[in-house]
Amino acid sequence: MNSSPVDASASDASSMPQKRFSNLRSVRWRIDLGVLPSSPPASIDDIRRVTADTRRRYANLRRRLLIDHHSPKYGKASPDLTVDNPLSQNPDSTWGRFFSYAELGKMIDQDLSRLYPEHSGYFHTPICQALLRRILLLWCLQHPEYGYRQGMHELLAPLVYVLHFDLDHLTQVQKLYEDFFSDEFDKISFPEGDFLSSHRIRRVKNWESGIEIENNLHKITNDHSRDELDPDTREMLLLSDSYGAEGELGVILSERFMEHDAYFMFENLMFGDQGVVSMASFFSPVAGSNSNLPPVIEASSALYYLLSIVDSSLHSHLVELEVEPQYFALRWLRVLFGREFCLDDLLVIWDELFYSSNSRYLDNDVEFNFEVLCSPRGAFIAALAVSMLLYVRSLLLATETATTCLQRLLSFPQNPDMKKLIEQAKSLQVLALESNILSSSCQTYSNKNQLTICRGYSLPSASALPKTSLNVIADRYWEEQWRVLHKDEELRKQSNGHLSSSGIMKKILTKRLSFSRTNSEPFEGNNAHALSSVRRRLFDDSSEVIEAAKDHVKSECNESPVISNNLNVGKGFPEELADQRTSNCMVEETFLSGHNALVVSTPTSPHDIGNDHENESEKSSITSNSFLGDNDEETISMEESCSQNKQDEESTNMEEPCCQNLDKQLAQDAEATSSGDVDSIPEQIAAPKDQKPFAGKFQWLWRFGRGSKEENQESKRSQNAGHIQKDGFDISQCDGTYASCGINKRIEVGDKKVMDTIRNLGQSMLEHIQVIETVFQQDKSKFDPLDNLSNNILGGKGQGTAIAALKELRKISSLLREM
Amino acid sequence: MDRRNGFKWAAARSPAVSSIASIGSFFSLPFFRSRRMVLVLAIGDLHIPHRAPDLPAKFKSMLVPGKIQHILCTGNLCIKEVHDYLKSLSPDLHITRGEYDEDVRYPENKTLSIGQFKLGLCHGHQIVPWGDLDSLAMLQRQLDIDILVTGHTHQFKAYKHEGGVIINPGSATGAYSSITYDANPSFVLMDIDGLRVVVYVYELIDGEVKVDKIDFKKTATTQSAH
Repeated sequence: MNSSPVDASASDASSMPQKRFSNLRSVRWRIDLGVLPSSPPASIDDIRRVTADTRRRYANLRRRLLIDHHSPKYGKASPDLTVDNPLSQNPDSTWGRFFSYAELGKMIDQDLSRLYPEHSGYFHTPICQALLRRILLLWCLQHPEYGYRQGMHELLAPLVYVLHFDLDHLTQVQKLYEDFFSDEFDKISFPEGDFLSSHRIRRVKNWESGIEIENNLHKITNDHSRDELDPDTREMLLLSDSYGAEGELGVILSERFMEHDAYFMFENLMFGDQGVVSMASFFSPVAGSNSNLPPVIEASSALYYLLSIVDSSLHSHLVELEVEPQYFALRWLRVLFGREFCLDDLLVIWDELFYSSNSRYLDNDVEFNFEVLCSPRGAFIAALAVSMLLYVRSLLLATETATTCLQRLLSFPQNPDMKKLIEQAKSLQVLALESNILSSSCQTYSNKNQLTICRGYSLPSASALPKTSLNVIADRYWEEQWRVLHKDEELRKQSNGHLSSSGIMKKILTKRLSFSRTNSEPFEGNNAHALSSVRRRLFDDSSEVIEAAKDHVKSECNESPVISNNLNVGKGFPEELADQRTSNCMVEETFLSGHNALVVSTPTSPHDIGNDHENESEKSSITSNSFLGDNDEETISMEESCSQNKQDEESTNMEEPCCQNLDKQLAQDAEATSSGDVDSIPEQIAAPKDQKPFAGKFQWLWRFGRGSKEENQESKRSQNAGHIQKDGFDISQCDGTYASCGINKRIEVGDKKVMDTIRNLGQSMLEHIQVIETVFQQDKSKFDPLDNLSNNILGGKGQGTAIAALKELRKISSLLREM
Repeated sequence: MDRRNGFKWAAARSPAVSSIASIGSFFSLPFFRSRRMVLVLAIGDLHIPHRAPDLPAKFKSMLVPGKIQHILCTGNLCIKEVHDYLKSLSPDLHITRGEYDEDVRYPENKTLSIGQFKLGLCHGHQIVPWGDLDSLAMLQRQLDIDILVTGHTHQFKAYKHEGGVIINPGSATGAYSSITYDANPSFVLMDIDGLRVVVYVYELIDGEVKVDKIDFKKTATTQSAH
């Protein structure tokens, strides 16, 4: 029975957990959009009642607003002819309104006539046009503050289409189950005028409300077989039973009330049902509630923000080309990607989009970054946009001017891999949601502001700090390259990179190292191929790592709760190890952020007063910028050692403590897994709570990095070097973000800044050349067993990466020339 | 049977409009049907620049492009600039020739159909006695029209006559004529909708625009409300 026209939704439904009304997309949307009650499980009767209510409301609205000015009744209402005449200048007069309506109608008509030319068979029929026009007109009249804007019709059209589609589907089902849907009621059929399309009339036999006559008539044929119907069809029968609750007005899928239903779907879509994402606001130039930017611009920046987290290289590339997000996002967001995908694909996307709830998931007092990311739906919109960007990533990276870049962006590939896009969007959605919870109290949209304010927040004594300026042109792209190149060597070192202040525990725990390592190995294997979305996992895991880091520090500070903390460590750490396979630098960052986050999140982890106290002291050490504290120093060194294994002796020396730290932690890990202490369960439960602030912090770091990168582009390299010693904290952050990338220039903590910078440039050039070489090698031997992962990453775009690497080389050489 | 005898007119000068309000069909949803609401401006005897410098400012501010679909101008504009101005209000401009018009290409009479109505246009100086109802009715029969628009007398008049309507929009500038000295500036706007015409009369009296409304309908019964 599901082999009906709704194959898109049917196949769609099969891929996700079974939702209610899985084969009736319009009903599902109406529930998701909040038109119909969702509180599970609303009974059929409830749904029907609500449906009837909305239809009545629409009818009233229509009667009230779309009244004829020529009707004599109207003349009676306003007899003042000086005001009410066709040439009246008063916009409030009936004639004035008439002309403004006419204007509006003309505008709407203009757009409607161009709506979906490829589906003109349906959308361009006079009846459908009139229906769309009425809905839009009514909506605009109802909400004069928004008025009609181009694009609204494209939001409405899919809704109408879906309603129509389901009616079609219903007809098909009726054909299959003619017995149940047959119109014979005491052998008399009721003719009914067809409204919108040429469906045949449907009447559903009332076998639920128990009209005896009918039951008697058809008892033999129906009574035994109706129970054999599958639940879907049964539900459909009940939904379209014109004798159920509210009678025909309650028939969920009804041609006659398509307009009514579509209007309320549209209304709820436009206003998001009191949720966060309101499409209407995307059309209005009025500044949003918590920023002085129009919501659509804000959403666009949210998109870029998310992109910067996910793919900093693409982000920096776009920023470099000065491609503002709103240039393309305006179109994407306003019509919810309607222009980018064909209608069928769009429906699948909207399925997901509406399925994500639009309610604010944050408490009001929680600081957040972007208003639009406060609801899963908003996050999904941003995530989908980002995944679209990633989908054309290589194309975008290949562009050299803003114009070509925008051309690429505005002509999205015709038949994209929808599954891939949506999968990615879903994973990014989680990231977006989590990244939005920002502990930062600021709400900034320009990176530079962000930089300063974030700093101001994280480091209360920021004013005392010298201006941070760092030289980073790093890309995530190069991070990947780097990762590929140094995957194996880095793996261990990376995991070593854990901050630690005391070397006391080291000796005690070293012996456990080997054990714990073997322990974590299996995880590595599993994770490497088990997870579909790398980035999401990255994020999740790294937050766990933060957890681990935090616990680790705690355990250092007061040794008593070591065991309880260890459980978290045990959970997070093996995964972290596995993760390092995919990204070194990320984890590295994580450590850092873990370290930093500790400062901020202290209040949220009230496990131990002692802990708090310790953290407090640590905080002070950081904020005062006295890098005498072991933590920070080691952080820097660890950074260096991890990100660039071709580092100077200095940093390699510093690796030692790191290793020891790792040993320690691994040992703890092992301890935890072996002991399995019952007492630690509460700890474990508490852990997820902590995760969020950490995550926020984590994101913040990235953003910070981004901000500083911008700064960096403006400032000179030598200057950077000068500040680095003083501002070790910031260095380490930026290092965290970019250090491990191939292009990064290493900054020496010394006097010969310029010399060092040049040397580093040369180094990175070398690395680029290496990258190109590897690309070509890999192209030849694609299935090198050792480099499996790298092949996966590079396989498709070997050529592209090589070209990109060459481009980067060119960039570096020009930089050198400047110096 | 004469087509005009098939329906009767009812003319009512407001506020008597409301008394026959119930007759019209109640189109509660105007956007459902593709109704073309048509506004026709009837204007004439401007006598610019000979007897008046320009249209009254109040009229000028009211007459804006985009609202009016057709303009019927009875004549005596008299110069091309006025023609151009009217053309700017609506491109569909119909003009008959008055005795002072410079442009000799304007016809003496003109008929056109708007919606379900046949309209006739004539300046009226040819029809003697000037402004005489019977003479005008003769022309109306001659042209076989429902609505006759004439001018020349510089006085607003609207008659319902023999199932038709005869309208004189007066002088839009209030110019004097050979029979009147102190004419009030006036023009007429007809709202033609289906079988119904609403005539709005705009008259400038003591510097104030006074609007009057006359409702003409096709009815089964003969009613004279004028």
